[in-house]
Amino acid sequence: MTTTDPALSPRALARQRRRASVARFWRQYRAERAGLYGLTVLALCALLALFAPLFVGSDVSSVTGAPGRPMTSPSAEFPLGTDQFGRDLLGLVVWGSRVSLLVGLLAAVLSVAIGTLIGVTAGHFKGWYATVMMRITDWFLVMPTLVLAIALATVMSRSLTTTVVAIGVTTWPTTARLVRAQTLAVETRPYIERAKALGGGHWHIMSRHVLPNVMPLVLAQTTLIISTAILAEATLAFLGLGDPTIVSWGGLLQDAREAGAVSAGDWWYLVPPGVAIAVVALAFTLCGRAVESVLNPRLGVSR
Amino acid sequence: MGTNDQTRSLPRGLRLVAAAGAAALTLTAGLTTPLDPAPRQARAADDGRKVLTVAVAQSVDSLSPFLAVRLLSTSIHRLMYEYLTNYDPKDNHAIAGLATKWEPSPDKLTWTYTIRSNSKWSDGEQATAEDAAWTFNKMMTDSGAATANGSYVGNFRKVTAPSPTKLVIELKKPQATMTALDVPIVPKHVWEKVSDFSEFNNDKSFPVVGNGPFTLTGYKADSYVRLKANKSFWRGTPKFDELVFRYYKDQDAAVSALRKGEVSFVAGSPSLTPAQAASLEGADNIQVNDAPGRRFYALATNPGAQAKNGEKFGDGHPSLLDQRVRNALFLAVDREAVIDKVFQGHAVEGEGYIPPRFQNYFWKPSANQKLAYDPAEAARLLDQAGYKKNGDGKRVGKDGKPITYRVLCHATDPNDKAVGKYLQEWWGELGIGVQLNCLDNVTDPWLAGKYDLAFDGWSVNPDPDFVLSIHTCGALPATPEETGATDNFICDKKYDELYAQQLAEYDPAKRADIVKRMESRLYDLGYMNVMAYPNAVEAFRTDQIRSITTMPAKAGNIYGQDGYWSWWSAVPADSSGSSDNASSTGVVVGIVAGVVVLGGLGAFAAMRRRATAGDRE
Repeated sequence: MTTTDPALSPRALARQRRRASVARFWRQYRAERAGLYGLTVLALCALLALFAPLFVGSDVSSVTGAPGRPMTSPSAEFPLGTDQFGRDLLGLVVWGSRVSLLVGLLAAVLSVAIGTLIGVTAGHFKGWYATVMMRITDWFLVMPTLVLAIALATVMSRSLTTTVVAIGVTTWPTTARLVRAQTLAVETRPYIERAKALGGGHWHIMSRHVLPNVMPLVLAQTTLIISTAILAEATLAFLGLGDPTIVSWGGLLQDAREAGAVSAGDWWYLVPPGVAIAVVALAFTLCGRAVESVLNPRLGVSR
Repeated sequence: MGTNDQTRSLPRGLRLVAAAGAAALTLTAGLTTPLDPAPRQARAADDGRKVLTVAVAQSVDSLSPFLAVRLLSTSIHRLMYEYLTNYDPKDNHAIAGLATKWEPSPDKLTWTYTIRSNSKWSDGEQATAEDAAWTFNKMMTDSGAATANGSYVGNFRKVTAPSPTKLVIELKKPQATMTALDVPIVPKHVWEKVSDFSEFNNDKSFPVVGNGPFTLTGYKADSYVRLKANKSFWRGTPKFDELVFRYYKDQDAAVSALRKGEVSFVAGSPSLTPAQAASLEGADNIQVNDAPGRRFYALATNPGAQAKNGEKFGDGHPSLLDQRVRNALFLAVDREAVIDKVFQGHAVEGEGYIPPRFQNYFWKPSANQKLAYDPAEAARLLDQAGYKKNGDGKRVGKDGKPITYRVLCHATDPNDKAVGKYLQEWWGELGIGVQLNCLDNVTDPWLAGKYDLAFDGWSVNPDPDFVLSIHTCGALPATPEETGATDNFICDKKYDELYAQQLAEYDPAKRADIVKRMESRLYDLGYMNVMAYPNAVEAFRTDQIRSITTMPAKAGNIYGQDGYWSWWSAVPADSSGSSDNASSTGVVVGIVAGVVVLGGLGAFAAMRRRATAGDRE
């Protein structure tokens, strides 16, 4: 597999090795059927969200320019009916995907970034620093995530940033623990000792040796956390803690509940955003699972 | 390997469930109502008592009549205590309450009330003029006791009880509200033991001694208020044995409870949404009462919060101190769209401060005074006031920064959020940003003056004195740290002069005229912009309540009346023949959705099984 052509520089060698491993990864990923389904769904959703301005345009969320009567059931003109303002629900669900996906991605990235930073440093430095960090992690771990997120969202002003931060800073502990465990495992390997002997400092070891080795884990964890983050975003918005002027799936559910769609049985207002949340969260979970089993078949379940 | 696989497969299944959770949650929410078709007959309790349960969306602020200002609490006080006078349920004129007769002296400065001798406190003591005198004197001497109803006694010189059936009130100046003193009379022998009236909430020992048609027997914050019928009430025993106000934070949950028969009545405060009303209208054994409301729904601006000592506080936007800006903002609010889209016809377009239901005091601006929807004129006014658009199309304040107003909205009121979205677009066109600040509890920023605009609304009594008094300079807090009776810190000299005039005017027609001039002044000032008079949309089960009094008799509301008429008069239905109120579309939808979810899960499970076939042993 690895070519040992002496004419190649170490850098080129590394590049080649990476290309090969990506190709290997993709071959193995393709074997995971559920992962492929998830990926297809995600690709579709991502395309839809990216090109939403072309199909529906930002006018879709305008209440003053709403085209229909309030709360009409699905018809040829409005395939998913209209909401309480007479806006087209199909357009709103498509438009809402932008916020839900964006918040999901950003929050997951934030969460994993915090988790990785704390995990790697705690695994590397050990000693009192690790003890302190791990106790903090434990504290966050035992706190009910949703309660903490609600508390944060309540005290901060209502905006997208708040939601991202509230989710990000409450979901990182699992990542931190996982990454720390992996870091400890990696640091016992002989080549780390060799790097140290050759004069590699803390930064060098963490960034050049530990991080690349925990990256697969981090990648899998990110994919899995995205689905959690999307659900958390929807939950917060549903509980009325999001920005009420932004269209998101959770926000649509909240609007529907407040407009009385639940007791009135106006299902078209409730089901599409609900199903959208479920489908996207499921797709991310499937992908995450597939990535996880490809990268580290022996690794136990992360959460 | 085998056990390892086991441990892995369990969480995977769990996660799957979790992922489907959102859909399941949504769908079951839609199912709860239609799939539980048999309404439970919860009325007749085990011992045969007839219980009337009312779902309310408001929590109690205080059960002390000296502190309570919320509609729920004051409605409960109507039931617990007698007032000197009451309002006729048919046409709101003053009728006998604890007082059977009242008589002013020729100079109208001394009022003599005859107190009825057939009203007893629930602990057996006689209710006398002494109790009434003590109540008023307490409010006059203790500022803690004047928190809620202080405006009624500000003009009292002396209150005495020469005999158990005679109450004499001496005034400093004539006062027009002498037959509309909405002050609960409390038993002296119980309340004189209270030391701090600003702290005592009257919710510790039950039953609470009272002499109204019901006696308070239990209360749990944000949960319920329980009252039992007063068998010896002088006007007659209520037909229901027990009355329970149950708190539902979510109006939709209350509607579901009504459909199931767990509650007999859903209060229309806030009103049922158009969708809820429409769906309940089709339901069996449920009657929807859509009556012109006694509330106004307004957009209040922060006039620069200040205390009586002249100290300014809060951080209202300085541009709002310019009347042209306030008028421009209201010019850009399309009230017709608010009525049509947000309230969907369950409201009347806002004009003056007092709703048209109170015909005598209802005022509407003339054609050239009216700030009708006109965005072009609004833009012109803003330009004139010096708030011009910058290169990005945003209007900039005097400090050179683009203007963004913080609009305080009640997170619990869907209308606030809905209207807020419209404001954002209407004012966005003008080049003004809107930041909707929806909070569960708006009181803190409100009292601190830390807002620019706010959604506001008050229930108006047949006598408008109270809602007019909350905009006078006299209602401002004494210092920034204290709480005043003021609504949003309005202090206008001309308005105050008119207020004093109307309070001293005994001629109803002349007084109404002055009140209308006050409304006109308020309209022009632009601090209180009334957008709508929402209807009271409420619903009750006809298989639990046979009849109930609306007030006024024609097209009146039931919850939140001026008086105890509705609950006192409610007649229980003979509980028989529960019927099926399942809405068939709901069932169909529920079943279809359920099948879709189950099908999806099944397909996925099958797929998983296939995919992991290689892993399994």
